Amino acid sequence: MVVAFFGRGVVVDAVSDEALRWQTIVGGIALLLGVFSIVQVHWRRVATRHEDRVYSAILLLCLAVMAGFGVFGGVGTGSVYDWLFENIQSPMMATMFSMLAFFIASAGYRAFRARSVPSAILLVTAIIVMLGRIPMGQYLYDGLPGWATWIMTVPSVAVQRGIIIGAALGAASMSLRVLIGIERTYLGRG
Amino acid sequence: MSFWQLMQRLDRRIIYTLIFVSVIIPTLFPLKLPTAVTPETMSFFNAVDSLPAGSRILFPFDCWPSTRAETEPMAVAALRHCFRKNLRVVGLSNVGMGGPSVLENVMNRIAEENGKVYGVDYVNLGYKANYQAVLLGMGSSIETIFPADHRGTRLADLPLMREVPNYDSLVYTVIVSDNAMIDYWVSLVNARYSMPMVAGVTAVMAPKQMSYVQAGQLQGLLGGMKGAAEYETLVGAVDKANRGMDSQSLIHLLIIGFIVLGNVGYFMTRNDKREYHGERG
Amino acid sequence: MKILSTTVTTLLVFNIWAATAFAQDAAPTGIFRFERINILIAAVLFSAAVLWYIRRAVNGEKFYIRPLPGLSAVDEAVGRATEMGRPVVFIPGTGELDKIQTIAGLSVLGRVAAATARCRTPLRVPVLYPLPMAAANEVVKQAYLDEGVYEPLDPQTVQYVAGESFSYSARIGGMMLREKPAAAIYMGEFSAESLLIAEMGQAAGAIQIAGTAEPEQLPFFIASCDYTLIGEEFYAASAYLSGEPKMLGALRGQDLMKIVLVIVILGGVASATIGWGEQIWRSLLQTL
Repeated sequence: MVVAFFGRGVVVDAVSDEALRWQTIVGGIALLLGVFSIVQVHWRRVATRHEDRVYSAILLLCLAVMAGFGVFGGVGTGSVYDWLFENIQSPMMATMFSMLAFFIASAGYRAFRARSVPSAILLVTAIIVMLGRIPMGQYLYDGLPGWATWIMTVPSVAVQRGIIIGAALGAASMSLRVLIGIERTYLGRG
Repeated sequence: MSFWQLMQRLDRRIIYTLIFVSVIIPTLFPLKLPTAVTPETMSFFNAVDSLPAGSRILFPFDCWPSTRAETEPMAVAALRHCFRKNLRVVGLSNVGMGGPSVLENVMNRIAEENGKVYGVDYVNLGYKANYQAVLLGMGSSIETIFPADHRGTRLADLPLMREVPNYDSLVYTVIVSDNAMIDYWVSLVNARYSMPMVAGVTAVMAPKQMSYVQAGQLQGLLGGMKGAAEYETLVGAVDKANRGMDSQSLIHLLIIGFIVLGNVGYFMTRNDKREYHGERG
Repeated sequence: MKILSTTVTTLLVFNIWAATAFAQDAAPTGIFRFERINILIAAVLFSAAVLWYIRRAVNGEKFYIRPLPGLSAVDEAVGRATEMGRPVVFIPGTGELDKIQTIAGLSVLGRVAAATARCRTPLRVPVLYPLPMAAANEVVKQAYLDEGVYEPLDPQTVQYVAGESFSYSARIGGMMLREKPAAAIYMGEFSAESLLIAEMGQAAGAIQIAGTAEPEQLPFFIASCDYTLIGEEFYAASAYLSGEPKMLGALRGQDLMKIVLVIVILGGVASATIGWGEQIWRSLLQTL
């Protein structure tokens, strides 16, 4: 990847293309490994009468049903697989995501206190942005959407950039530590 | 216990019930509130609008089904705009679960509205594992990465794909994403192949992507359901996002109310705590 | 320091010249992409800075690292769990093993596992994907062995939860509400499930310490958790907790590059403001 990024030419391009092809193939096989791993773990739970074996059995049944309909019935629009996905899987995932709305309300009520000057500034900024992003904000005061846009495009972006740059440097340093072997804890060798 | 002390210990289920009511009421009784358009959405619209008819664009839909409420309206509005402009769309997804199917459903529905033909005006390449290989590999040869489309048809049998061997044949990229894939599109495709792009992302991701907009790496940005609602307004096809903004407006007001209430309660009970601990305010 | 600053200045000047000279090629040829040389020089400089400070650390130089409240609280959290007789939950993020944040999270897991082994506190590590699960298993086993705990690992310690993030967070929520951990530590890559997990931990009454480099998830952790490590603080966690000179030296090298970046940014801002020399900064930073 590094050579392909800095290099150019027939040989470099050919090697890079071949490597990418292999990467796609290996990625596909890794997906399969993931499926085998899930089946193995949950089959073992059912076989050893683990306390959660009922949930494992349901998981294996759902896996078999979806995979079966997908393989034998196709995955196109109008297929059983598509129906199951659109009417069961997708709404369940959207429901879980929707819980965030409830949780952010309870987190906001609990945590957003003006305990100090910085937290008071944070509070006021959050209220301006929340009001500025909805139509009612404009009814309250014409300039609110403009203030909200300014907050999101100037101080917010500056802070995000700072965090991204810092995190990128941290990631680069961590990667270097892993590459040269001084960071080995994740391998189980302190 | 005083009223404010009670408010400090408010059961979270009451909060959840009020949030639930705020979602249901506008759904049953739409408020039809107008949506002001932000500069980033305007830039997104203008970027797509300025493309000549017949241009071939890439349309990655890198979204999980969980964020459909935000991302599907963006995709619908963007595809409507593209098809009305007679742009030819090559779609794909780097999210295996649901991405290609949702994209297929949306593309087929909007294409039918606009009289577009599959294989000639639009194609759904589907999903391939390992996004890095996909994004970089398509720079050399799309057919190497996607020998067949989502329906199993060989790319050589699709008239549109015969004209699109790699990124060089595509003039623009319109991305809808709810995860870090947008960072890879910018860092791998925009940086290496100079492919101009715009993006629609979830509201949570929008502040981070603003830095790409300001750097010129993204030429426009749709942020969350509000961005989708603004874009629907610009395209002239008010749909789910605008309807959803009614609920979002009420919930924002409710959360602001909770925050204000919580702070008033905090200040009202702060003196009680000080007196309890022997301090004087 | 003199040699380093001279080298840095020379490389920067060469970089500006090379980027300007070669970027003007209408159709660049040759096997080396000189238009990207600034990235190569930056990578070489960064690596050199990190390696140089590691060498200085190995030679005995001590480096000051400012205290990170979130990491100082890890021992306190484990102690709280031990006193209350409740488990510690550690979530190494929801990323695959090829993500650097997952590796950073697993590194912190090693230190936390050592602390729980010392105090004989139950540890729960639910993991989203098979490869991080295998790695987490090894990390925890080794940490326990290093602390002299030779009994076989409880199968409940490292658990594989089916590979979808919302199913995972539903499972975590159930576990939090049933087992009521006294401490919950979240270190790694997270997406939308971060708030779900953190709020459920809050409802369970756990002391929560979080660390991630995802800017979108930081506000959720800050609102719900007692301590939050932001961006590079999270990457520094493993080095901070180990106290190893080599790792602290690497942190110092990283900080040096940050100073260089700040100087470049300030120079670019000043140049753009006064309207002179902008082309120099563009050619320094632009890649093709």
